[in-house]
Amino acid sequence: MFQRVRRRAAVVAAGALTLSLVACGSGDDSEAEDLSANRAGAMSELGVDQQFKATEPVSFSVLYNNHPNYPLKNDWLFWTELNKRTNVTLEPVAVPLSDYEQKRSLLIGAGDAPFIIPKTYPSQEDVFVSSGAILPVSDYLDLMPNFKDKIAKWNLAPEINQRRQADGKFYLLPGVHEKPWHDYSLVVRTDILEELNLQVPKTWDDVYTMLKAMKAKYPNTIPFSDRYSQPNPAGNLLNLLAASYGMEGAGWNFQHISWDPTGKKLFYTGASEQHRQMLTYLNKLVKEGLLDPESFTQTDDTARQKLANGKSFVISGNAQGLVNDYRPDLAKTLPNAKLTKIPLPIGPAGEINPAPRLENGIMISKKARDSKNFVAMMQFIDWLFYSDSGQEFARWGVEGTTFTKDASGKHSLAADVNVIGLNPKAPKHLQKDFGFYNGVFTYGGKPELVQAFFSPEEQEFQKVMNARTPRAVAPPYPFTDEEREQVSLWQTPLKDFVYQATLQFILGQRDLAQWDAYLAELKGKNMDAYMDKVNEAYERYQKEHG
Amino acid sequence: MVTVDSSTVEPETVEPGKAVERLNRPRRRRGIQTTRGYRVFQVVNAVVLTGVVVVTLYPFLNIVARSLSDEAYIIAGEVSLVPRGFNIDTYQLVMSDSLFWTNYRNTVVYTVVATAIAMVMTTCFAYVLSKHHLKGRTVLIGIAVFTMFFNGGLIPNYVLISSLGMTNTIWAIVLPNAISVFNLLVMKAFFESLPVELEEAAAVDGLNTYGILLRIVIPLSKALIATMVLFYAVSFWNSWFAAFLYMDRQDLLPVTVYLRNLIAGAVGAENVGAVSEANEVQAEATLKAVTIVLTTLPILLVYPFVQRYFVSGVMLGAVKG
Repeated sequence: MFQRVRRRAAVVAAGALTLSLVACGSGDDSEAEDLSANRAGAMSELGVDQQFKATEPVSFSVLYNNHPNYPLKNDWLFWTELNKRTNVTLEPVAVPLSDYEQKRSLLIGAGDAPFIIPKTYPSQEDVFVSSGAILPVSDYLDLMPNFKDKIAKWNLAPEINQRRQADGKFYLLPGVHEKPWHDYSLVVRTDILEELNLQVPKTWDDVYTMLKAMKAKYPNTIPFSDRYSQPNPAGNLLNLLAASYGMEGAGWNFQHISWDPTGKKLFYTGASEQHRQMLTYLNKLVKEGLLDPESFTQTDDTARQKLANGKSFVISGNAQGLVNDYRPDLAKTLPNAKLTKIPLPIGPAGEINPAPRLENGIMISKKARDSKNFVAMMQFIDWLFYSDSGQEFARWGVEGTTFTKDASGKHSLAADVNVIGLNPKAPKHLQKDFGFYNGVFTYGGKPELVQAFFSPEEQEFQKVMNARTPRAVAPPYPFTDEEREQVSLWQTPLKDFVYQATLQFILGQRDLAQWDAYLAELKGKNMDAYMDKVNEAYERYQKEHG
Repeated sequence: MVTVDSSTVEPETVEPGKAVERLNRPRRRRGIQTTRGYRVFQVVNAVVLTGVVVVTLYPFLNIVARSLSDEAYIIAGEVSLVPRGFNIDTYQLVMSDSLFWTNYRNTVVYTVVATAIAMVMTTCFAYVLSKHHLKGRTVLIGIAVFTMFFNGGLIPNYVLISSLGMTNTIWAIVLPNAISVFNLLVMKAFFESLPVELEEAAAVDGLNTYGILLRIVIPLSKALIATMVLFYAVSFWNSWFAAFLYMDRQDLLPVTVYLRNLIAGAVGAENVGAVSEANEVQAEATLKAVTIVLTTLPILLVYPFVQRYFVSGVMLGAVKG
């Protein structure tokens, strides 16, 4: 009984202590927290790009997203070499990729989560924060020199700040890219361009001119028939255009809130002038018969069929779709056709690369904090996911076995190792037989690393995109739990309404002259109240942590 | 139940087996001419039923054809009953993986064990519930029915199973769903309709409760048991969720999870930005069809063997009216 009281008092005291620590430190302070009991196996000091090696053998459990293309094997070189270099054994809890997120929620909810929880996309961590099961990693950045180094060197602070919650901390260690990596764009029949003596379009206005010329030559076609309309209409096209017009996102990346970097304010995407301009543009395409109205409803297969049968010449796509879908489709029906993924057309927002620089990353279970190996684990994560040598190891493997490096530091795959078709005759596979280039452990990095296995054509595309400026990042406006609940009640009807109006305006069922009436209807659906909450959260955050 | 005119039953035939044998003999329809109306009915009947056969069979044959076709023809919508661009690459791809066979074996083991356990539990519970003189019968039924409408939810269930130490064992799959309340109620209703006189007679002849259940009730319920075995087996065969929840090792998963994951991998954009090698392009449309064929075929093969137990009128004439 006495014991229990004492223990409780200790807990309360510790809680008060951490509270006061949090209160006085606005940044990512952690010096004050006592980690002396958690240093077993840790290095006394880990430097930037220094090889991490635990001073005694340690093991950590890790949630493992099992990809069917390279199912988990226990004898992978990845595991043995990792153990040799770092003294760490990882104990994977294998979860099928098909339902990874569900199992992750379940394990976290049941308090059974492994220490390391990879493959978590930015904002997926939000729902776990209030449960207290996830570690506020921002408190422990001092254990992660490589992470801090990359954030500083690559200017990633605005992106990272966006991940901060209402308490000013962030709970996800995201994968970080030096350059944004944008994949989706328009895929265009270049043989038709040649036939019409046209250049590859650079801007969305050029796209209009190109479609117009195609229509003039082939009046019976509708030159642009798009896909990605399930479950929401024109997911990709709307998203690309929204970015080009200076909005945060639309379509499959639907964003209620956008950021105006010059005016320094947040605005409601669907009510903005940019949105109206975008709709005007799309409406023009539909009206003049250049964009297939069915683009907004048809299935992907129908859109592919139209392209394959020469009924359309332009479609949305990414590098994989180009190679795996469109080209094989066309090879059967129109063997002379040529297809290219054109660099993302430029809109009023200028030459931007809209892709985010954060990708999926790692959450850490709160339980890990109490482990005696906690410090060693953070150092290990820092080395594997954020140091240059760790990133090289995870992606390329072991020098001399899976890859070679020339004098200039350029990597090439070993002759007997294959990955994504680079050495089709090679007997061994980098992912299947060695366990490298594994989606669970390979995130972000320098462009050379990220694009290492891309085809020359795709590297060319990326070169153009890399030359563009990354998009301005919106400041954080984290909600409290109650606010999040309230806001989500407003969000759904607003989103449905914006979608409905978007389609009506594009397809000409509603005249764009009625824009003001539309804005009034948005207000009737609590748009203003929503924006008030957003601004309130934004200002509160600025005051408390800005 | 069918009530039978007492004149068709000879006094001695109390034994059910004999009665069945006698009544299943086709009766000659002496002197009855088929009427015109009846013949018209037969023709219409045949046409309608043929239509039903086509409607049910076509989708399956279409899936088989798709599984053997080239992806491009499927996308173009050109595959109906005959495979186009015949190939078995996807079959080879799926079946060359040893994990596929491990998981397939798991499915068979899980299904057999789970069905056996479920049948024992459900039969016993249903038989008990069918006895009106049982004290607290309505409470027991109430408890069972309650679980039809309410359950503890995902996380409490998971915590329960894991604190019982059943995760990563077969028990996590075969025990929690051992009694399907729907099947239980069907069985209860069937047992209730069994003539009480049969059991009384058996008791008079010296059988105890277990003897009555095992030697009288169950042999009389073959049709019902066959149906229930089929219901349970199909549901366990198709189930993947329990295994997905409670298994943390890929070699313990059933084939349904394996194939589900395979499709997710083919559909997902994991290798975006990269050129896939030709043999790695898992044609999504074909893969789906192959998956359906591989998982449904074995269970379809079971039907003909169970079929013979679906004899009607087992109970005909067992009791004198």
